[in-house]
Amino acid sequence: MLNATRSEIVRTRRKGAVAAWFGLTALFAVMMFFAFFTFVDSAEGAPERGPGVTFPSVETLTSPEGIVAPLASASSMFGIIALAFWALFTASDYSTGMIRLLAAAQPTRWKLVVGKVLALLMWTAVAATVALLATFIVAPAASASTSLDISAWQDVTVAIVAQAWVNVCVSMTIWGAIGMVLATITRSAAVAISIGAGWVLIVEGVLAVIVPDIADWLPGSTIAAIASGGTDALSYGAALSLGAVYLALCLGGTLAVYQKRDITD
Amino acid sequence: MAALTTDSLTRTFGDVRALNDVSITVPSGGVVGLVGPNGSGKSTLIRILLGLIRPSSGSAVVLDGRIDQPSSYLDRVGALVESPAFIPGLSARANLASLARLRNLPMSRVGEVLDIVGLTGRDTEPVKQFSLGMKQRLGIAAALLPDPALLILDEPTNGLDPSGIVEIRALLSALANDGRTVVVSSHLMSELEAICDHLIIIKFGNVLYNGTVNDLLGSAATSIVVAPENPDDASALIDALTRGAVAAEATADGSVRITQPGVSGADINRTAFAAGITLAAITTHTRSLEEVFLDMTGRSDGDVSRDRAAQTNDQES
Repeated sequence: MLNATRSEIVRTRRKGAVAAWFGLTALFAVMMFFAFFTFVDSAEGAPERGPGVTFPSVETLTSPEGIVAPLASASSMFGIIALAFWALFTASDYSTGMIRLLAAAQPTRWKLVVGKVLALLMWTAVAATVALLATFIVAPAASASTSLDISAWQDVTVAIVAQAWVNVCVSMTIWGAIGMVLATITRSAAVAISIGAGWVLIVEGVLAVIVPDIADWLPGSTIAAIASGGTDALSYGAALSLGAVYLALCLGGTLAVYQKRDITD
Repeated sequence: MAALTTDSLTRTFGDVRALNDVSITVPSGGVVGLVGPNGSGKSTLIRILLGLIRPSSGSAVVLDGRIDQPSSYLDRVGALVESPAFIPGLSARANLASLARLRNLPMSRVGEVLDIVGLTGRDTEPVKQFSLGMKQRLGIAAALLPDPALLILDEPTNGLDPSGIVEIRALLSALANDGRTVVVSSHLMSELEAICDHLIIIKFGNVLYNGTVNDLLGSAATSIVVAPENPDDASALIDALTRGAVAAEATADGSVRITQPGVSGADINRTAFAAGITLAAITTHTRSLEEVFLDMTGRSDGDVSRDRAAQTNDQES
């Protein structure tokens, strides 16, 4: 299994793809920060939600947690990026035909899946770190022109930062696993990304209107709750438990398809 | 000892029977040719042997390991299946390193196989910049990584220039001489005739021949074409030969063709002399593997779907 992970790290160490992943993550972190302060200082104030985004309250922004608040709020965007790259790295094995070589070299297919998951987890952790660093780098500039009192940011603790990093990392991993199972089933990164992005931006919102009782339990809401450290509707513990179920379903589905399906690509 | 044995191996895809009760034995050591028209089931057979797809029924043993337990033998098998498959944005070395890590091989092996296929010096270039021939060499390098006892190569000379083909032919012969079994799937009959000891001919999922190349060519009728000095004597010569129980036929240019085994040019000359016919030329024609193959497979023009439809209609009627 360790060999499969090391092999996967070599294969996913594609400068362009990894740089794009980290670059987009950093870009969204920066954009979120500027967007928050622009909305907060506007006459209308910040809305509660945007497409795929939950805006933090003024109270949150002016607390010590405020400096890492954009991470939680942008988690869906980070998640879509993670979904895209997990899907890309999974589907490219099929589109290039590399899957033939891999399965012939390691016939115990679950090891290939676990190796890929571990390698992508590593890249996800790096991406979460990039998001965190981008937040810290841009925070002074973004807050320079705001009328809010952000002096509490100086009281931010390692525990707050670490918690924010863990939450973002876990939420990105669940999104990534969704991308992985979609890419494994469809054998296409484009289709997997379309389904994933469509779910977050459209389907989940529509479902929330049609069946409001389940809105807080849907994948997007659950993952957002994890990234935020829990919400009024879903506690952190409940969100983590439900997130674990979604993660297990995705990885189990990937494993089942890998194990059972003939490799004809 | 057999490198691989299949027993009634069958695989269907919907209504199509890609492999039909295939029972073959491939001896250990030497180069084995696997030939057949497009869509004949060669790739399906190779994929089953590599554990990529499962048979609908039947069984097989590869290097003493059963195909339902591919991990028992795949560490000793190297393969190039259809076109070479690599991550285009990665270098040749990185692609091979990824496979070497997966197989838990030392990284020094990557350099060795790159050297064997002549890609040293180009190994840091992205694969997307490689020509088809270079990708083919890289595919062979990947197959050689585990220092395999059984090497399965699908169209290994595809895209190679003539000197590259000669190099690969020499490489395959050298590997076989080291005691390895090399299974080569190819359409180039002249290539196979030059390097193969054993041949498996397959069509519509059925094995038409499984044996040595020598036996196949030896059993193929050698034709003798004789040209009477006077073309008008052709029918008289055919009559004389027929009276001697030798089957003969006239050709369009006034010559006579004899395809009956065991008849020599001297026999025909004697018969002609006894009949008062002078022969201007006696030509012995040994049939090539390509001619034998085309006769066995029915000179398919490549439209396998139409051929399959015809076969289905024949079976239904």
